Amino acid sequence: MTRSIRVARFRNSLAFKVIFSTVLLCLGVVWLTGSALYAQLSEGIRKVKVESSVAETRSAIFNAQYRIILASDSEAKAIKQIVDDIIVNSPSVIGTAINGREVALLRTAPTLKGAIDYQRTSNQMLVTSIPKELRTRVQKDISTQWSETLIQYSDGTQVPALAVGEKITIPKAGSYEMYLLFSLTSQNATLDLLSRSLLFTGLALLLLITLITSLVVRQIVRPVREAARIAEGFTAGDLSQRMQIKGKDEIARLGTAFNEMALSLQNQITRLENLSRVQQRFVSDVSHELRTPLTTLRMASEVIHSSRDQFDPNIARSAELLVAQIDRFERLLEDLLEVSRFDAEVAILESVEFDMVALASRCISDLSLLAKERATRIDLVHPEETVLIHADIRRVERILRNLLTNAIEYSDSKPIKVRIVASEDEVAVGVRDHGVGLEEASAYRVFDRFWRADPSRARVRGGTGLGLSIALEDARLHNGELEAWGRPGQGAHFVLTLPRRAGGEVLSRPIRLQPKDYPSTIRPSTIL
Amino acid sequence: MTLVMVVDDDQDLAEMLGIVLTSAGIDVDLVSRGDEVLEVFRANPPDLVLLDVMLPGLNGIEVCRLIRAESMVPIVMLSAKGDTLDVVEGLEAGADDYMIKPFKHPSELVARIRTRLRRSSAGLSGRLTLADLAIDLVAHQVTRGGKVIALTRLEFDLLVALAKEPRRVFTRDALLSEVWGYRHSTDTRLVNVHVQRLRAKVEHDPENPEIVVTVRGVGYKAGVTGGA
Repeated sequence: MTRSIRVARFRNSLAFKVIFSTVLLCLGVVWLTGSALYAQLSEGIRKVKVESSVAETRSAIFNAQYRIILASDSEAKAIKQIVDDIIVNSPSVIGTAINGREVALLRTAPTLKGAIDYQRTSNQMLVTSIPKELRTRVQKDISTQWSETLIQYSDGTQVPALAVGEKITIPKAGSYEMYLLFSLTSQNATLDLLSRSLLFTGLALLLLITLITSLVVRQIVRPVREAARIAEGFTAGDLSQRMQIKGKDEIARLGTAFNEMALSLQNQITRLENLSRVQQRFVSDVSHELRTPLTTLRMASEVIHSSRDQFDPNIARSAELLVAQIDRFERLLEDLLEVSRFDAEVAILESVEFDMVALASRCISDLSLLAKERATRIDLVHPEETVLIHADIRRVERILRNLLTNAIEYSDSKPIKVRIVASEDEVAVGVRDHGVGLEEASAYRVFDRFWRADPSRARVRGGTGLGLSIALEDARLHNGELEAWGRPGQGAHFVLTLPRRAGGEVLSRPIRLQPKDYPSTIRPSTIL
Repeated sequence: MTLVMVVDDDQDLAEMLGIVLTSAGIDVDLVSRGDEVLEVFRANPPDLVLLDVMLPGLNGIEVCRLIRAESMVPIVMLSAKGDTLDVVEGLEAGADDYMIKPFKHPSELVARIRTRLRRSSAGLSGRLTLADLAIDLVAHQVTRGGKVIALTRLEFDLLVALAKEPRRVFTRDALLSEVWGYRHSTDTRLVNVHVQRLRAKVEHDPENPEIVVTVRGVGYKAGVTGGA
């Protein structure tokens, strides 16, 4: 959970992303330069130490050799005295002096018979302190050899050191090797200090870089965030907000460009709003201008029509046609106005609570005359209790009338079944006819304006070609659905599903679009 | 002879309305400007006013308010706009009924006018009581504690319709047919606006009506009658 939040934060925050990658890169760079610096410095320190140690060893061994050769004619006891002096006096004890050193005189070959064994080490240092590998090199080569090692004392303490050695000859005693061991404690301490300083500096640098990056990023990200906030405001409809512009940098240019875009958008929207208002106004004016003469026309035709009995048959029929066509013209005008209201998005819902069964019954009885003319009848199947719904009754009535009129016109004189089914949140009305039906592919197109299933077929008498299209818009205005199903020769099924409360959603379909009486088991393969 | 005042700026329509009404046996007074209405109205008070919304001089809604301020005469608005706002505005200005041009059936116009002219209580006599209201069907008066409450004829008819059958719940459709003379209509705005106006005049607290009670999902009924 926290992990996913963290990941989301990383993905969502530009600042976090930039800071994170900057720190990561800097860590790499600091690490690389730090370790290179450390390697170089430690190498230099070591080199200096080795050079000085080698020089010191050489002079010490030369000095010892010189003293031994000078005393070569003396007694063995005198030589022993010199050797002891070299071993005991020349070292400064490690641990007391920072640049302390130990000395070792080691025998190369077995002791000659009767000769004194001069092998000695200073300060009880063990012979094993000198690596075998170094001794081999010293024995084979006449030049000075060196190696790093650990000085081991007889009491078990160990000290890191540099061992430098050379061959030395003691008269009447054979070949020996002399080693000087220089403590590396102080060098190691220096290197430790160095690495600690480097680490500290690196960390401090990283911290500083993080701080600087976040400051810089904030400077860049803040205007971006502000732009995003204002853009969101635009989406929500607040067109008045603008970005604040300071200076003349790229961010300021972004701000200027953004503000120009905002202004242009605002202008466009205002222009479109004005256009829509002008359009709406025009439609309303046209409606008013057309309706007044239409009213006069209608009344005049009615007066003529009412006395048609006194006319000769041709004039009487003309009067009838006149009345019918004025009717049709008026319906067309009404439908066009309604469509233009939907297009201008000014159609509003006036919801009241009513009983869907009562409304459907009334629509059916109002259309019973038309049904009788078409030799069909409408049966209503509904639940026993009232089906209350909160919706715009005028629009719902219009939807029902459109569906019923449509069903009657295409019923082919077969009975029409209207079903009302209610669920917790929806009310559905299904209108099923068994008439001519329609192509499966046409089921969507029936709602198109002025659409005809068969262009050669005459328009239903008096129909405007806009009824189903308006019905669909009416249904959608309620957040409802209006769907059509049809098969040629099998009739059609229209299902209206409305949310029970205004503003609700249609979540389920109480009536399935595929009618129950349609034998869905018939498959093409069974048709022979 | 009844007199109807027709106010419309369209000369042809006004003339046609004149022809239709005259042939139905109604006298007609034609006025074409909104600012001339009141003068003619006072000089020759009509039995009903047929009023267009869009008028030169003074618009129909304003004219309606002015007439209502001095008379309870029935007013029927004529409107080319079917939009709710205009209709409700007209009704709230005091119109009893409205018709949208073009009329479905010109004969319907005549029928509506006759309904508005007929006294709904013509066949009845005596008094009715509804809560603390006394309704005098002969004098056409509503009183509360001897104090007269001024109602338009339509509001009176609406109240009488409810008071006549105190046990009956009226659907809006039933009220439309009984009070307004509509044969079939689902125009509930008309009922709603007039119920609100009636309540504003007769209820003690229009927010919590006790005389004209709403029956949720059905319509309205008369409130509990104290003595009956």
